[in-house]
Amino acid sequence: MKTRFTTRDLVYIAVFGALWGVLEMSLGSYLHLIFPSLATPLVGVGTIMTAMGMVLALIGRLFVPRTGSVLMIGLVTAILKALSIGGVKLSPMIAIIIESLLAELGLILARRPSRGGFMLAGCLAVLWTFFHKFFASYVFLGRGIYDVYLGVLKEGSQALGIGMGYALAIIAAFLLIRIVVGGLAGWLAWDLGKAVQARLTRAEKGSE
Amino acid sequence: MKILGTWGHLAFLVWAVALGILAPGARVILVLGFVVVFSALFFRGGLRPVRRLEFWVLVASAVLLSPFLIGEKDLSLFGLSLSRQGFWAGLWMALRALSVALAVGGFAYAVSVDEIARLFEVAGWKGLGFAVGVAFNLLPTLEEMARNAYQAMRLRGGFQRERLRALRMLLVAIVVNALRRGDEVVEAAEARAFRPDGPRREPLPINRTDLALIAVLVALGVGLLAWP
Repeated sequence: MKTRFTTRDLVYIAVFGALWGVLEMSLGSYLHLIFPSLATPLVGVGTIMTAMGMVLALIGRLFVPRTGSVLMIGLVTAILKALSIGGVKLSPMIAIIIESLLAELGLILARRPSRGGFMLAGCLAVLWTFFHKFFASYVFLGRGIYDVYLGVLKEGSQALGIGMGYALAIIAAFLLIRIVVGGLAGWLAWDLGKAVQARLTRAEKGSE
Repeated sequence: MKILGTWGHLAFLVWAVALGILAPGARVILVLGFVVVFSALFFRGGLRPVRRLEFWVLVASAVLLSPFLIGEKDLSLFGLSLSRQGFWAGLWMALRALSVALAVGGFAYAVSVDEIARLFEVAGWKGLGFAVGVAFNLLPTLEEMARNAYQAMRLRGGFQRERLRALRMLLVAIVVNALRRGDEVVEAAEARAFRPDGPRREPLPINRTDLALIAVLVALGVGLLAWP
């Protein structure tokens, strides 16, 4: 892997990867292990953790404004995730990498850093949590995609209080919630990132 | 003087994580025992997390909450319905967590950023290796920073009203402090003439002690897993 990041870029990537890693290794492992049923089927623990991670990774993009920085932050987090208390779990590690890739894609589509671009990146990343259920069940558990689809419909119909016949509405609800959560993560990342930049600038001016 | 080399520490980390996951039931006690003895012998600083109350709260909560959340309720205690299966599952889970946490803490304590970077360099991923090495070493610092920032805000009454605003301020403070720490790391790396695009260095040597430890770990691991 040829690197074109500077030493400062790599250290900032490490900082944001470590922050996301701390979150995954503590809160993430804890929620997955102890409280998997706390969240409703519509908003799983994975969705919450991805949104939180994206806030950090996207703030990181403001400080390392180069294509590939969010993916690198995701890679660092995935490696740290391998050492979390839940043990090496390939599925969340792959999820983190794919989500980072999708966020990177969103940022490329947006062309220049903006609140809208961050929201698009957040939406794409968090949307993956819905499709990851199908992917992970098929790849790691050998379950058929149709079985997973039926399971999702059943969970969704129970949570929404409607019949399984409204499949389109149920799937739309799953996707819509993730789009909203992802958009919110991007919006927050932009807001917090700018606040961090402002505070660092103020501190620099104060020390001059 | 360092008795073990980087490969020895890496082998121990891989062993502890793998056995922490694979060791069935009560055998995880043996894994934890070995991790504690090894840590006490080779890197006592890695045992620092056990001095923290939060660490034990996290471990204890896994044991205490599991009987309520996992398995069929088959026991009644003080009017509470509990699951024996859940209790045992929680206990083994807590011991697995302890083993892995101590091994990771020990590795972070004993192996420098440069050594971790060189491990990745063997695979040709210098930049990623450096970033992972820095991130690995930052983990304990960041946890402490986050805790200190939270305590400072709480003592100033920060969370008594306008909690969302306080949470935002806390997040900003944590990221700002982390970036400042990052700047110190940049200065240290540049002072040591580190360059991401610099020439590839010699691979880390593997010494006899490392080889002996790897042999012991493999034998112990096979014994723990294959013993009837």
